[in-house]
Amino acid sequence: MKIAISVQKATFDTEAEQCRLTTGRLDIGAVVSFTGRVRDTNERPGVTALTLEHFPGMTEKSLHEIALEAGERWTLQAVTIIHRVGRLQPGDAIVLVMTASPHRRAAFDACDFIMDYLKTRAPFWKKEHTDNGSYWVSERQSDHEAANRWELS
Amino acid sequence: MTLTHLNARGEAHMVDVADKQETRREARARGSVRMQASTLALLADGDLPKGDVLATARIAGIQAAKRTHELIPLCHALALSKVSLEFTLDIEESCVHVEAFCRLNGRTGVEMEALTAVSVACLTLYDMCKAVDRGMIIDGVRLEQKSGGRSGEWSRQAVAQTSLATTGEKGAISPTGTLKVQFLAELRERFEIAECTLAWEQLPTADIAGVKLALIERDAKFKALLSQRVLCARNEAMSQDGTVIAPGDEIAFFPPVTGG
Repeated sequence: MKIAISVQKATFDTEAEQCRLTTGRLDIGAVVSFTGRVRDTNERPGVTALTLEHFPGMTEKSLHEIALEAGERWTLQAVTIIHRVGRLQPGDAIVLVMTASPHRRAAFDACDFIMDYLKTRAPFWKKEHTDNGSYWVSERQSDHEAANRWELS
Repeated sequence: MTLTHLNARGEAHMVDVADKQETRREARARGSVRMQASTLALLADGDLPKGDVLATARIAGIQAAKRTHELIPLCHALALSKVSLEFTLDIEESCVHVEAFCRLNGRTGVEMEALTAVSVACLTLYDMCKAVDRGMIIDGVRLEQKSGGRSGEWSRQAVAQTSLATTGEKGAISPTGTLKVQFLAELRERFEIAECTLAWEQLPTADIAGVKLALIERDAKFKALLSQRVLCARNEAMSQDGTVIAPGDEIAFFPPVTGG
C-alpha cells in the first residue's frame, strides 16, 4: 500500500493528488476522496478565520498509523492524507483523505474510517476567530461516537 | 575504543577521510542561557539595547557552524547542506533553550558543527543581553543526537533509556536526568507556558502521573492536568497516567484534538 502523508500550510490540488496516486496503476478500480472545508458558521456564527495548530512529529506519525490501520482492515492500494495547518479562511480546503482500492466499498469505508480516526486521534487543534473574539473549538461527542463505530467487537 | 585524533605515537593528527564512504550526516545539539526573569522579558519584547537578539544569535550560530574548522584544530572544513537554529524562551526556568541542527552528505560527522553553532549562539545571546544582566549562565551544551557514518545512530535519549533498562527495575528512579514537558494549544495559553524541564529527582513516581504531581508541586495551576479531558503523549505516542517514563523523555500535555 502506498501511503502519502503531508501536514502543510499550502493548499492542495485534489486532481493533482489523484493523478499522483493513480499514475501507472492499472489495477486501481476505485478512488474515493473526502475534502473538509472551513465553514463560516461553527460553534458561533461569523467565523472570519481559523488557526490550526498541530504537534509536529507526532502528527505525521499518528496519520501514518491511521493509514496503516485502514490498510489492515480493508484491501487498499493507496492512501493519501493531507492536512493543512496555520491560518485559514472560510471556504478554504482544510483536509484531504484519498483512498484507492480494487473495488469501491473498501475505498468508501476506509476513507470514512480514516476521517473518523483523524478527528479523534491526530493532534490538531482549531482556534476560530470571529469579530467578537477567538476561542478554541471544543471536541464533539458525535465525533467520538463516529469513531467508536469502527471498534472491533 | 581509541581516540581518532591521536596517531600511534600519541601525537595529534588529522584523520584522513579520503577513502571513507559519503553518507548522510546529521547532528543535533542543545544548550541554554539562564538569565534573570526581567532579562528574558526584555528579550521577548525586543526591548534590549542591541536590538533583535534571537535573529542575531541565529545568524551567529549559522556562521559559526560554517567556520568550525577554523576554531577546532583537527576538524575538517565541511560543505554543510543545512544549518538551522531554534530558540525557545522558557519563562518557567527563566532561560533560553538553543537547539542547532546540521546536515551534509560527506565523509565526516557534523557533531562539532552543531555544538559550535549552539556555543556561539549562546555566546551571542550573552553578548546581546549582557548590558542588563552580567550574571547569565551558559549551561548544558551537549550533543543530543547524531546519525550517519561508521558509528551510525546515537541519541542521548536512547542511551538514557538503555541505562534505565539495565538497572532492571521498571519505573525505578535514577538519580539524574531531566524531562522536557510541553503544553500545546489551549493548555499552553491557559498555563502561559509552552514548555519546561523537570529534574528527574523531582518525580514522586517514574510515570506520567508522577510528572503531573511534580508539576502541581511546582505550581497549583497544573491541577488542571488531572482533568480526564487532558491528553498526554510520551515521545510522540499517546500515553496514560500509568505509562512508565525514562530520563530524557519528552512529555506533551494537550486538550482533546479537533482536527479534520
